[in-house]
Amino acid sequence: MNSSVQTILEYAKRLVAEGVVGESDMLSMRSELNDMYITKAGVKLAELKEDDIVKMNIFTAESEYKYHAQIYNERSDINAICECYPKWVMPVAKAGVTIPAILDDMAQIVGPTCKTAEDNIHSIIKTLKGRNSCLVKDKGCITSGRTMDEAYTCVLVLDKASHCFVSSSVIGKNMIINGFEARLMRFIYKTKYSKKNQENLSAKEEGDNNQQTSDKEASEV
Amino acid sequence: MAWDKETELRLRQVIKDSGVALLAENLVQGTWGNTAVRLDEDHMLVTPTGLDYIALAPEDMPVVQISDPSVWSDGKKPTSERKIHAAIMQARPEINATIHSHPIYCSILASARIELPVMSDEMQKLVGGSCRVGAYGLPGTKKLKNGTVEAMQGRNACFMANHGVFCAGKDMDEAFEIIRIMEKSCYQYIQECTLKATGQSTYSDELLFDYFVAQKSAKK
Repeated sequence: MNSSVQTILEYAKRLVAEGVVGESDMLSMRSELNDMYITKAGVKLAELKEDDIVKMNIFTAESEYKYHAQIYNERSDINAICECYPKWVMPVAKAGVTIPAILDDMAQIVGPTCKTAEDNIHSIIKTLKGRNSCLVKDKGCITSGRTMDEAYTCVLVLDKASHCFVSSSVIGKNMIINGFEARLMRFIYKTKYSKKNQENLSAKEEGDNNQQTSDKEASEV
Repeated sequence: MAWDKETELRLRQVIKDSGVALLAENLVQGTWGNTAVRLDEDHMLVTPTGLDYIALAPEDMPVVQISDPSVWSDGKKPTSERKIHAAIMQARPEINATIHSHPIYCSILASARIELPVMSDEMQKLVGGSCRVGAYGLPGTKKLKNGTVEAMQGRNACFMANHGVFCAGKDMDEAFEIIRIMEKSCYQYIQECTLKATGQSTYSDELLFDYFVAQKSAKK
């Protein structure tokens, strides 16, 4: 089995196990500069099989795969994308608001804020500028990374941050981490921990997919 | 060393089992939590940094000096949060086991920096009163460590602002009872706040969703 297909199958299983998927989730990985492997539109991740992962060229991708194709086209730093519909992300996407830095892990892994893009590719590309994740109005979220593990971890952390953000509406106002400290954490995470982990993960994703170390483990706070 | 080999072997297993139990009870995500258990006045065993709890062996747990947590031996590289575990062990001689994690409902109160009032007799008994929030500090800093020690005074649990929860017990079983009651009490608090805000009598996540969306829409 192709290693990208194997990785997508493995991470689809993990996302389902973590309960952070909806009905129309899609995962993809860049295979070569202009090609990607992507899960077929309409196939639930819980039911995903090897045959449901197709290879296509990012310039000739059909319309339902355009979001992924266009992101790979615009962002050479991105090699994996999770388009997911986690339960707690949904109300934030519906409200169309920005999640501020309310948890250390969010500041480190997702970034100091996570904005909501309109449901069109121009808005998504614009919102993703300088970032790896965004929410999509009335839909869910798009997370990305240099590896699938990075994109996957962002989904988990974003769902948790969303859960905190939504709950804060009834328990009190959000206490936001100071912008400088949030950016500092993100910087340290990206340089000190993430780089080393990415090297290990890229090597692993090329080979077997068993027992991968989560990117989350890198910062371990 | 003021402990015997038999005790050390038993406590190594206790630490190993604590990591597995945190995972099994959904009180930790990945390896993103850590535990410690006291060996003697100046030494403790802690979980190693960033490794899978299931794959870890009891002998992987490092021994860390409580008075100077930069000193460690006999295992894999210890958790970067060991300074906080050490500070609590040093300040509180009656504490022999500590847990730091980020379970979801505790994280919600930690992110809003809300002191959790006593929610039940069980919470009063185990935590020793309300659960305070320690001052915010970046991970690994003295500010975070000192804030945690201060918020733990006279209590067996505290929130770490925008981060998670810290629990301490006379042994690991008690520390687990404390983190369990904390997560349960936080959930109860959120449910009660939701019912109060919405005027409804039965809690559901959807009720909270709708309230959130309506509030945000009203602000626009």
